[in-house]
Amino acid sequence: MDKRAIVCRCLDITVEDVEKAIEMGYTDFESLRRYLGIGFGPCQGRHCYPIVLRILAEKTGRKLEDLPAPRMRPPIIPIPAYILAAARGEGDGEEG
Amino acid sequence: MEKRAEVGIIGGGIIGLATAYELASRGFRDLVVLTASFPGDGSTFRCASGIRASFTTREHIVLMRESIRKWIEWTRGELGRLGLRFMQKGYLWLASTEERVRAYEESIRLQNKLGVPTRLVDPDEAKRIVPVLDTRHLVAALHDPTAGKASPFKTVHALVMYLKSHGIPIHTYTRAEKIEEREEGFRVETSRGTYFFEKLVVAAGAGSPRLLSQLGIETMIKNIPRHAILTEHYKPVIGPLVVDPDTPGAPYIIQTGHGGFYIGRKIPETPETEPYSLKIDYPSLAIKPLLKWFPWLINVTVLRHWMGHYVTTPDHHPIIGPVPGHRNLYVSTGYSGHGYMLSPAAAEIIADYILEGKPKWTEAYRLNIMRIWRGDYIHETAIVG
Repeated sequence: MDKRAIVCRCLDITVEDVEKAIEMGYTDFESLRRYLGIGFGPCQGRHCYPIVLRILAEKTGRKLEDLPAPRMRPPIIPIPAYILAAARGEGDGEEG
Repeated sequence: MEKRAEVGIIGGGIIGLATAYELASRGFRDLVVLTASFPGDGSTFRCASGIRASFTTREHIVLMRESIRKWIEWTRGELGRLGLRFMQKGYLWLASTEERVRAYEESIRLQNKLGVPTRLVDPDEAKRIVPVLDTRHLVAALHDPTAGKASPFKTVHALVMYLKSHGIPIHTYTRAEKIEEREEGFRVETSRGTYFFEKLVVAAGAGSPRLLSQLGIETMIKNIPRHAILTEHYKPVIGPLVVDPDTPGAPYIIQTGHGGFYIGRKIPETPETEPYSLKIDYPSLAIKPLLKWFPWLINVTVLRHWMGHYVTTPDHHPIIGPVPGHRNLYVSTGYSGHGYMLSPAAAEIIADYILEGKPKWTEAYRLNIMRIWRGDYIHETAIVG
C-alpha cells in the first residue's frame, strides 16, 4: 500500500499516519480513533474502519477476525440540527 | 507469580495518569498503573474538557485556581512538547434574570477574594467575547477569563508518552477485580494476573465505589449518567465554554480544538445506568435551548451522541487522600464531573500525601473521606450538566 494513500477521507489521514500510531502503541481501533481522530469525521468510521483494520492486522500480526469491532454511536447517519429542532417537546431538563 | 511495585495506581483515566506523572516527575519510579481497557477510556474521554475556577466554594475555587496554574505549566513543559495544550479561552455564564445576576455578583465577590478575576459583563461586552452570540435575551454574563479547555485525547496521549519514556508501566486491559488488604500492603487480583503493592491509590472513577466497598469503605458515590453530542467540525468561532444555567438542565456548548461543537444538558437519569443506554430524544433536547443564543446552530450537523458518568459524591466535591483505618491506602475519586479540570492539582495532592505525608494546600484536607462519613458537606452551587 502506498504510504501516502488516504485512509480517512474526512480528515486526510494517511497509511503512514496510521502505521506510525500503531508503532507508538495504539494497537486497537478505539484508541487509534482517539489519538488520530480517524473515524471521528462525518463518516464516523464507516469508510475508514475496514482499511484501518487491515493495516492493524498486518502490522500486529493478528487475524482480522480477532480484532474487536468498533463501538457504534448514534446517529447512524449525521443529522442536521434543523431536523432535531423540529422534534416536539422542550424536555424536562433538571435544574443544573 | 505476583507482580510487585511499591505504589499501585488503579485507574488509567486522567486522575490515575496525572498522579503517576506527578510521582514520576518527582523522581519516584517504583509504580505501576492498571487500567481496565485503554488509557482515558472512562469518564475522561467522554468529558466536555472544560477547565475553570469559577465555582462557589473555597475548596473548589482555590484548588481549581492552582490546577489552572499547573495546566499552564504542563502546556509550557515536556507535556506540552508531547502535544498537551491548555487553551485559556474562558467561560461565559449567561444570565437571563436579575436574580441570576445577583447570584453571580455574590460568587464573583468570593472568586475575586480568592484570586480568580471573574467579573460581570454587559451584553455588548459578552458579544465582544463571543461575537456569534445572540444577546437579545441576555441580561448580563459572568466572564471567567482564567478558564479554558484542553483536548482529553491530547492530554492523555502526552501523559502516556511521558510515563512510557520514563519507564512507568501502564498495564492496559488489566481490570482490578478484587483487593485484599494485608499487613504489608495490598493484593490486587486482576483480569491479567495478581499484583502486590505496598501502597495503593484507588483512582478508578466510576469503578471506585465497587473496589473500595471490598475494603469495607463506603463512599456514598453515585455514578450518574450524563449525555453529550458532537457536531461536525467548523472553523473556530466560540472561544469560551458558554453555559445557560437559567434553562433547566443548564445547557452548554464548547467548541473543541478540532472545531466540533460539544453540547451537553442535564436530563433526569437513574444512577448506575450503564453508559450505553442512549435516549433517542436527547440530541434534540440538548440543542434546542441553545438555538436561542446561537440561532445559526440550526445549520450544523450532529455526528455523535454518547454517555459518560459523573462520579458524584453527596456534596459534588471529590474524595482525595488517605482513609482512616487503612494504612497506605489513598483514594482519589468522586470528582462529580470536575475530575478532568482538577487533575493536575489532584495529582499533586496525592503525590504530596505519598511522598511528603501531607498536602501543601489546606483546602485539600477537607476533601478527605471523613467529611462524607460525618455528613460535613461542602456546598457547591455552580454545577454544569
